[in-house]
Amino acid sequence: MSNNYIPTIGLEIHLETKSKSKMFSSAPNTYGAKPNTSVLPIDLGMPGTLPTVNEEAVKNAIKLSHALHMKIDHTLHFDRKNYFYSDLPKGYQITQNERPIGSDGYLDFQLDGSSVRVEIERLHMEEDTCKQLHYTDFTLLDYNRAGVPLCEIVTRPCIHDARVARLYVEKIREIGIYLDVSDGKMEEGSLRCDVNISIAKEGAKEFGTKVEIKNLNSTANVEKAIAYEIERQKSLLENGEKVRQETRRFDESKMETVLMRVKTDAVDYKYFPEPNILPIKLSDEFVNDTIESSYELADVKFARYTNVFKVSEYDANTLLKNRSLALLFDDATKTCQYYDLLIHFINGDVLTYVSGANNVFNLSGKHLGELINLVGENKISNAQARDIFKVIAKDNKSPIDIVSEQGITQISDEDTLKEMIKKLLDENPQAIEDFKNGKGRAASFLVGLIMKLTKGKANPALASKLINEELKRR
Amino acid sequence: MNKLDLKTIKDAAHRLLFDMSEEEFLTLQKEFDITLAQMDVLGKIAGVDEIEPMTFPFDIEVHHLRKDEADTPLSNEEVLLNVKEKQSGQIKLPKVVL
Repeated sequence: MSNNYIPTIGLEIHLETKSKSKMFSSAPNTYGAKPNTSVLPIDLGMPGTLPTVNEEAVKNAIKLSHALHMKIDHTLHFDRKNYFYSDLPKGYQITQNERPIGSDGYLDFQLDGSSVRVEIERLHMEEDTCKQLHYTDFTLLDYNRAGVPLCEIVTRPCIHDARVARLYVEKIREIGIYLDVSDGKMEEGSLRCDVNISIAKEGAKEFGTKVEIKNLNSTANVEKAIAYEIERQKSLLENGEKVRQETRRFDESKMETVLMRVKTDAVDYKYFPEPNILPIKLSDEFVNDTIESSYELADVKFARYTNVFKVSEYDANTLLKNRSLALLFDDATKTCQYYDLLIHFINGDVLTYVSGANNVFNLSGKHLGELINLVGENKISNAQARDIFKVIAKDNKSPIDIVSEQGITQISDEDTLKEMIKKLLDENPQAIEDFKNGKGRAASFLVGLIMKLTKGKANPALASKLINEELKRR
Repeated sequence: MNKLDLKTIKDAAHRLLFDMSEEEFLTLQKEFDITLAQMDVLGKIAGVDEIEPMTFPFDIEVHHLRKDEADTPLSNEEVLLNVKEKQSGQIKLPKVVL
């Protein structure tokens, strides 16, 4: 047996899914509302209340399961997971233990140019618990989160690299966001990740003792916590000590995992079928319609952008980091076929604008497409497009109307520009001298002068070409 | 027929994260004795092992899913009506960290 240790990692992701109401009650599903104001008696576990299954939550689970290549169970079965804790007023959580809605899936992605596959064991629906705020000597309970729909996605213990674990979480978040089933905000707890990790010598037939790491609040911390934990477990084993079965958390300030509790006996949740929800049969039509109504995933968009629109992988990846901007791009391509100009404008000017605090953005894809068409057709310059964009971004005015109202034009007529350039060179003999002495900046200096002279109206690419030609002629 | 001893009951209580007084444990043990005696009677019925466990009284499936529409929630005052101690609109407890 080799002396190398191989880590084995499994991930459990809890994804809060988007809906107007909760998983089993019609209380509003809100985030950031005042404590205990999005609650109905069922969320408080009041006797006499009965759960009813939210259609939207089921649709979200189907969409996620499909995106993760899972088998979808067409009959919904729910179970009770019993435990006694203050975050759970009923004394049990309604979940799917025996028959998860999704099973046996996988997720493929690229790492360092190679394809990686993570096998996914199950995806099941359940309700979130109430939020507990722990202070030094007391705890406060807010039931707004109690009953929020959750999808729990569990991988097989098939990951052996901290970077793969991190990328997997990022891909799950991206899928949730692109399907519009979750906002995937780890910082707000709508995506939570627990890691199970053990190490064993290469070639060993059995896994090592499993340690669970909880409460990881960013994908970077998923990677850091795993990397730390691998080293901690290695060091224990190399010193002849044993790895204890325990739950740890990641301390971001110390960059290490810290013991929360040692697991002595496995907690017995005494699962049994939820008697208040009869098995629910989903029609094939319902499942298929739900799948067909799913939004396009980022990977599919990436392939379309790079293969059909021929934009660079870098530009496509930059755009796809922001779903709203990717949707804006898709919308704009209905009126604009200058894909490179369009994607650069969105990744630059639009991204900067929407990232600005308090910037109201209402520009439609149609008007953005028209604006970029004006640039592509050499009717306005990039600088002019930027100025027009600032005017129309907020109130979605037509760029064509602005150009016509304000008489904005670009000088793209060669004869007009040539005349101006000749005059300019006559007035700047030093620039000609510099150019002849190999100072390339001389040409840029002259382009700048032309732009200034024309108040930004000259077509800069054409002006640059004509200036270089004229300089060579002199 | 096995009887549940107090040690097993206390271990089960511990695993379920609760505790009771000695007197309550004794009461619970007596209740278990009755339940187990009843199980014993049932166990003597011929063919009982071949019966599948049943969760619902009828073997039926339903199709209903609730439309995703939010109702007006309770007011914060209503939510906290039965609460012994509260703070900042929340229920206040002695510190509990699992």
